[in-house]
Amino acid sequence: MRKQAWLRAAAGLTAAALVLTACSQKSNEGTSGSNTGANEPSAGWPQTDVPELKPGKKGGTFKLAIVEPTAIDVYNAQESEGILVASHLFTGLTITTYDGKVEPGVADKWETNDDCTEWTFDLKTGTKFHNGEEVNAESFKRGWERVAAKDSASEVAYHMAGVEGFDEMQAGTATTLSGVDATDPAKLKVKLTEPDCEWYVRTSHTVFSPVPSTAGTPTSNPAFVEQPIGNGPFMMDGPWQHNVGIKLKRFDGYTIQDPAYLDSVEISITPNGAADEYAGYQNGQFDWARMPVPVLSQARAEYEPKGQWITRNTNGMNYLLVMVTEKPLDSAKARKAISMAIDRNAIINGVFKGSQTPSTSLVPPAFPDAYQPDVCTACEYNLDEAKKLAKEAGLTEGTKLNFQFNTGGGHEEWTAAVADQLKKNLGLEVDIKGLQFTDLLNNEQQPGASGIFRAAWGADYATPGNFLEPLLSTGAIGAKADEPVTGDNRGRYSNKKFDDLLADAKKEKDDAKRIDLYQQAEKIAIGDDLALIPLWNRTQHRLANADKFINLRMDFHEDPDLRVISIK
Amino acid sequence: MGKFVIRRLAQAVMVVIAATILLFIGLFVLGDPFASSGDKVVPPATQEILRAKFGMDQSVPMQYLTYLGNLFTGDLGVDFDQRRPVADMLGQAVPATARLALVAIILDVIIGLVAGIIAAVWRYSFWDVLVTVLTTLAIGVPTFVIGIWLRQTVSGFWIFPQVPRTFTEVAPWYTEVLLPAITLAVIDAAFIARLMRGSMLEVLRADYIRTARAKGLGERTVIMKHAFRNSVIPVVTYVGISIGVLLGGAIITETIFQYNGVGYLLYKSILQNNNPVIMAITTFAVLVYVGLSMIVDILYAYLDPRIRLS
Amino acid sequence: MTTSEPADMATAAQSVIVQSAHEVDGVAPEPEGKGKQPSRGQFADMWRRFKRNKLAMVGLVVVGVLIILAIIQPVISPYDPWEQNLLNTLATPDSDHLMGTDALGRDLYSELLYGLKLALIVGICTMLGTMLVGVTLGAVAGYRGRFSDTIIMRVTDIFLAFPYLIGAILIVRTFGSGVTQVIIALVVLNWATGARLMRGQMLALREAEYVEAARSIGASDWRIVVRHILPNAIQPVFIYAFTSIGVAVVAMASLAYLGVGVPPDTPEWGRLINQGIEQVQVAGKDYLWIFPSAAICLTTLAFAFVADGLRDSLDPKLR
Repeated sequence: MRKQAWLRAAAGLTAAALVLTACSQKSNEGTSGSNTGANEPSAGWPQTDVPELKPGKKGGTFKLAIVEPTAIDVYNAQESEGILVASHLFTGLTITTYDGKVEPGVADKWETNDDCTEWTFDLKTGTKFHNGEEVNAESFKRGWERVAAKDSASEVAYHMAGVEGFDEMQAGTATTLSGVDATDPAKLKVKLTEPDCEWYVRTSHTVFSPVPSTAGTPTSNPAFVEQPIGNGPFMMDGPWQHNVGIKLKRFDGYTIQDPAYLDSVEISITPNGAADEYAGYQNGQFDWARMPVPVLSQARAEYEPKGQWITRNTNGMNYLLVMVTEKPLDSAKARKAISMAIDRNAIINGVFKGSQTPSTSLVPPAFPDAYQPDVCTACEYNLDEAKKLAKEAGLTEGTKLNFQFNTGGGHEEWTAAVADQLKKNLGLEVDIKGLQFTDLLNNEQQPGASGIFRAAWGADYATPGNFLEPLLSTGAIGAKADEPVTGDNRGRYSNKKFDDLLADAKKEKDDAKRIDLYQQAEKIAIGDDLALIPLWNRTQHRLANADKFINLRMDFHEDPDLRVISIK
Repeated sequence: MGKFVIRRLAQAVMVVIAATILLFIGLFVLGDPFASSGDKVVPPATQEILRAKFGMDQSVPMQYLTYLGNLFTGDLGVDFDQRRPVADMLGQAVPATARLALVAIILDVIIGLVAGIIAAVWRYSFWDVLVTVLTTLAIGVPTFVIGIWLRQTVSGFWIFPQVPRTFTEVAPWYTEVLLPAITLAVIDAAFIARLMRGSMLEVLRADYIRTARAKGLGERTVIMKHAFRNSVIPVVTYVGISIGVLLGGAIITETIFQYNGVGYLLYKSILQNNNPVIMAITTFAVLVYVGLSMIVDILYAYLDPRIRLS
Repeated sequence: MTTSEPADMATAAQSVIVQSAHEVDGVAPEPEGKGKQPSRGQFADMWRRFKRNKLAMVGLVVVGVLIILAIIQPVISPYDPWEQNLLNTLATPDSDHLMGTDALGRDLYSELLYGLKLALIVGICTMLGTMLVGVTLGAVAGYRGRFSDTIIMRVTDIFLAFPYLIGAILIVRTFGSGVTQVIIALVVLNWATGARLMRGQMLALREAEYVEAARSIGASDWRIVVRHILPNAIQPVFIYAFTSIGVAVVAMASLAYLGVGVPPDTPEWGRLINQGIEQVQVAGKDYLWIFPSAAICLTTLAFAFVADGLRDSLDPKLR
């Protein structure tokens, strides 16, 4: 009797499961109300206006959160968290403004010789470090040598590669930079090994900061690494408390630009990044926050009406790195076929809920002078054209395509969507893999690597050249065809005309002409050859506490511009 | 007895050495720590400099011996990322994890023992079923889900500190440790409950229990004095092992609750290929485990003459 | 993955070891069925005792239903679990989609069914693999004793001492990601406890009377182990392994949380939970992680009940 009861129960459960499933496979299509307008081109979310700077008043504490940086000392500050702190503790020869223009920093003016191999910077006098010591040419030379020294093993020293004497210092055969002349305390003279008419732009990078005579080297004076003494608008209020926080306070002796208004800045360090920042902002613990992608729509709906929302196109681009010397994507037609078979709008609306803008160029709109909105003709979704090109290029159905991305960056969904589109639209057999970043890098570098890889790039200096050259110039491959790539041009794109245009641009003193050269170069590499497949522009969104503060804006590195923020 | 201890000690040392060798080799599989910094490639010239600085330009066996040598002088090396002495980093992280482990153990032992005894003594009752269901639920839900759910719903209420924590809102250690400890304790409490229940069921059937009851001893005395003491032995062993495991660091739980312990350090280091830290923490975890295991073995040998002589 | 989750497997097993073997060199309580070999009558007895445990019966039924569902999944799945629909992502449960859709617009219910198949395959294969390796090595260690015993015991020590996360990551990154590799990783990380368990049993049983009897009539070692000791010794190992099916599923989910395991767009319960957790700060999307978690819980519960019932039914002293 009991046995039958159990059998009946089992049968009943199975039947219930079957009923629940409606016994036939439906096809998963159709819109739902929340995704209206999905068929319209996605314009992304509009940029918010950058507030006009109003005069502020002294006082207040600004709170935000970051993840633990690698270094806040300029000798090794590398990622955006480290740069956030370092760029407020130090001011260099030049300053890059929030919108990518270069203005005087410690250097009042600068000039170069005719072939742009020698630079002379006239320094403001009377500016001081936080400890009262005066800033002069020797301070810069000292700082740069501190970075370039072999013993420091700085991971960002390479920015100085053009300076004469750099190689010797890195090899350990020299202890000074022969190309830097600081004999005149008010003039810094720099000799380069190759012409570079834009060299002054990179001097805003924190690696070129001056340091006081008490700095020593990172090995001889580790205390400085934990609590750097700089010449910027803020100074350290106590040493760096690892995994806990960093406190900054206003430096009242700042004379390079208007001094800061805030009394102090409390930077908490949390392991969970944007998720913690958003939660903290909601609790009122932070005055500035990034957000994890899933909450963007909800956050915007809540905070934009309150005026606490910021959206900006920033210095960066999201794209697919393509191995252009290997099949199946070794022809421009094949690459264009792929690019036109990807429906960027659908992915942006479906996965990103509309918070990104599809890109049509490599150089992003954040560089308004050089930006060419139509340079990528193949960035439009056009299935017929894609299929036609695929056929011409021999990209037949069933072709295997390798597609890799890095885990831990939230890329699982959109890469799956891209893979799915390529499978459906071109019939390709997409082999998609998620890897640790270092493994991904390694795979990209190997000779014989093929297919597409998720990639993104942000310029280190505010010039389109810093997109084009590191990513696409032949020199940036740094290896022969049978060796692993050592530079950033891991797709191994090589085009003599492109290289020549870039070389000319470096020698071009006139800004407008130089930009024209860059634009021509981009037309070749992206317009004609589609060496990389741009996906969507880098657009950043922030929450900023406009209830308590004014002058809230992002600087060029997407960090809050702490110097201008003030309480109401 | 002495011979047994020496033998066991020698074996323990061998295990530690073997494990560290395996780990050292494994680290080379994990990847090149200097190939990239953040998401930018490091130029080959800089890679050379970094390798020389950290002694990675020597052969693998040479590196291992250097590492062992340094270990004996207490020099755990300098980490690849921030170039801080690893000993400093551990010095902050280990006590934090120790506190977490302590609180977690206290919680799960109390809850587990009570639940297990109740389930055993009132077998097949509602309480037994409840304990069985709850313990299985606890085992069946991944720890990180429990953690995230707790953090989402409970942090900020009552004595639980707000997560995320700003660095000026430093909570005293005994409240900061609560939520992660609860998250960790859930699974262990479940296992202890099941263990206790099974063990007690067996013991309750034993002859000497029947004797005790026949002698007229009260049920409470029977259970607490006789049954409990005999059935708790496996729980003791389990807790011993569990301490070792918890001291190795609870990676996900620590990250979720922003708790700066060994686990979070280890996880970050794995992502960064930060070999010195990985080596140090893993060696520490291995030492703890092997040490505890050896102590347990010796303890049992001491208590049971048959083992010594085998 | 914390040493406290997967250590759930290690410590789970150890708890059973301790339970049945009061582990350390050589001490074991009376193993079940000492002095007798199982016969057909005993199986009938076991079944009778099993049936009396209502929870175990419920578990058995649920396991059965799950297995059936997994087998007929291609037929009963309302949508293709891999099919994306970017126009309808993150939809809340409605008449079209019983459990809503995930971040790629895939039907969550179909994904859960597909994930069930994966979970069962991984769980059962891990169990079989662990038993295969663990039983063999444990038997050798226990039966031969002395040198092989010491070697194997210290090897298990090494495997148990290694923090779980490092081992898992090392294995998967050496061999790549995929279902097979995950199974290998889980087996490698868990065979040690099965081996210890088996060894404990072996040590106790090799002195049993019937073994002596078999030896005295000249039976070879191999025959003794396989025909006489193994059937008795294997019971606790089998029960441990059965419980560990559920734990294996949880372990796979935890591995997925750290980005280690099956290919990234696979509808696997662990990955579904991860995707759901990413959405935890968005209001109203909790169903994304609750459904897969509930699925894991249900599966684990069912197997655990059955394992409990098995243990009770194999013990003749329990009335």
